[in-house]
Amino acid sequence: MLEIADLSVSYGKHRAVDNVALTVAQSEIVVILGANGSGKTSLLKAIGGIQPAASGARIMLAGADLSRLRAHAIVEAGLALVPEGRGIFGELTVRENLMLGAYAKRARAGEAENLDRVLTLFPRLGERLAQAARTMSGGEQQMVAIGRALMSAPDILLLDEPSLGLSPLMCGELFGALTRIRQAGIGVLLVEQNAKRSLAIADRGYLLENGRIVGQGAAASLQKDPAVQRAYLGVAQSAV
Amino acid sequence: MFVEALLTGITLGGMYALVAMGLTLQYGVARIMNLSYGEILVAAAFAVFWLFTVAGFNPLIGMAMVAPAALVINWVIYRILLLPLVRRAKTRDALEVDSILATFGLLFVVQGVMLVLFGGAYYSYSFLAIPVDVFGVTIAANRLLALAFAAVIGLALYIGLTRTRAGTALRAVAVDPVSAQLVAIDVRAAAAIAFALGGGLVAAGGVLVSMFLTFNANIGVVFTMKALIVVIMGGVGNMLGALVAGLILGLTETFVATWIDPGLTLAATYSIFLIILLVRPQGLFGRGGR
Repeated sequence: MLEIADLSVSYGKHRAVDNVALTVAQSEIVVILGANGSGKTSLLKAIGGIQPAASGARIMLAGADLSRLRAHAIVEAGLALVPEGRGIFGELTVRENLMLGAYAKRARAGEAENLDRVLTLFPRLGERLAQAARTMSGGEQQMVAIGRALMSAPDILLLDEPSLGLSPLMCGELFGALTRIRQAGIGVLLVEQNAKRSLAIADRGYLLENGRIVGQGAAASLQKDPAVQRAYLGVAQSAV
Repeated sequence: MFVEALLTGITLGGMYALVAMGLTLQYGVARIMNLSYGEILVAAAFAVFWLFTVAGFNPLIGMAMVAPAALVINWVIYRILLLPLVRRAKTRDALEVDSILATFGLLFVVQGVMLVLFGGAYYSYSFLAIPVDVFGVTIAANRLLALAFAAVIGLALYIGLTRTRAGTALRAVAVDPVSAQLVAIDVRAAAAIAFALGGGLVAAGGVLVSMFLTFNANIGVVFTMKALIVVIMGGVGNMLGALVAGLILGLTETFVATWIDPGLTLAATYSIFLIILLVRPQGLFGRGGR
């Protein structure tokens, strides 16, 4: 269980994330919907320790406080981030990327098992293990990024706009994979612009606007919420 | 004559390659542009000279003492002198500038100590100065030994960096230090290790060079420059690039000295450097944009 409270991020005077509180349980997909510039990426980076959060934030994972840890120690504690732009090692091969995913001490014992699981989830990676990651398509690179994160045996997986720039077909494959990751007991926190697809697989959702949480609820009820439909699902206002 | 020049050039080039591998580790992984790099080489040469001529240790045993010591000393230098710069640098580029200034200062500290201890005179010692016949050419056994050691150390490093998890982690930091954190790599610890490894390598290079070249307290900067040229020619962070560029440099210097004029070796070195910079600014094996 990931529990976040009072999380703020500022760039100079600009407050990108303002007192955010949210939770993600195991075996649950939680989506954060928000427009460009709403603070989604800053929020995920702060949770992952890549971006410093304002003091006073509480980031608890299974009872342990992550808010003071450096990024590498946060991965060690069981939280893996797939950043915007994927952040894979383009010069290294797929195999090396996945092997580095299991660099965390917590991941060493189950490495072979996790590799099997990742290659079952993304069979395409198995055919390309010796290929330099940067020579692959966008969708395949996203698979490498998610596979690498799963290799660290996380309790919680954070994903920043994984569907960005992918074909509809690849998108479907990706979201399908996320539901199977949930089945494995991992909690998924997903930041997405593709509200329709992400609400379809999510259990719960939060709405982020100007750095604040302005709404939350079960994914099914968010899908039916007229305000959400207008803002994120592109449903025509009066279809009479 | 050609074979002789070839052998001499390969030996010299092997030294350059080995020394450059250390610099490319320090610069590629730790982002420290170490201007005092060559001073470690000279200090190692003096250390092994002292161990051989005064304490009576064979230079190979000397290397087994000096290289690990240099590794530890460089790790300490990183933790004490450079880590504060890493902590306060907002970007990797800022760190690069700060590290140039800091190591420029360190250069004079180390050089000053060596000048006090050994003065400005040239030193050398005679170890395995036995002529050996190779393809009808005589070459000193110490050169062959130095080349063999450089090859073994370079190969071991290459295998370590490409075939082990720890080595792959170091390369990952060189490729993308931000993402490296996302796979639980402690980037600062990795940088300290890379810097220390680089120091150990250049010390080993210094010992090997001292077996067949004369040296004095002032020549460190020459090796820093050449290592820098080899690193840039080969592509920053690229081990194979350092090997090829080192050999090119050693062979060119030797051929120019043999057939044109020994006074033109530096000019030839820089001409090649400039041509490569113009044609392939990312280096022979480097990727664009990095």
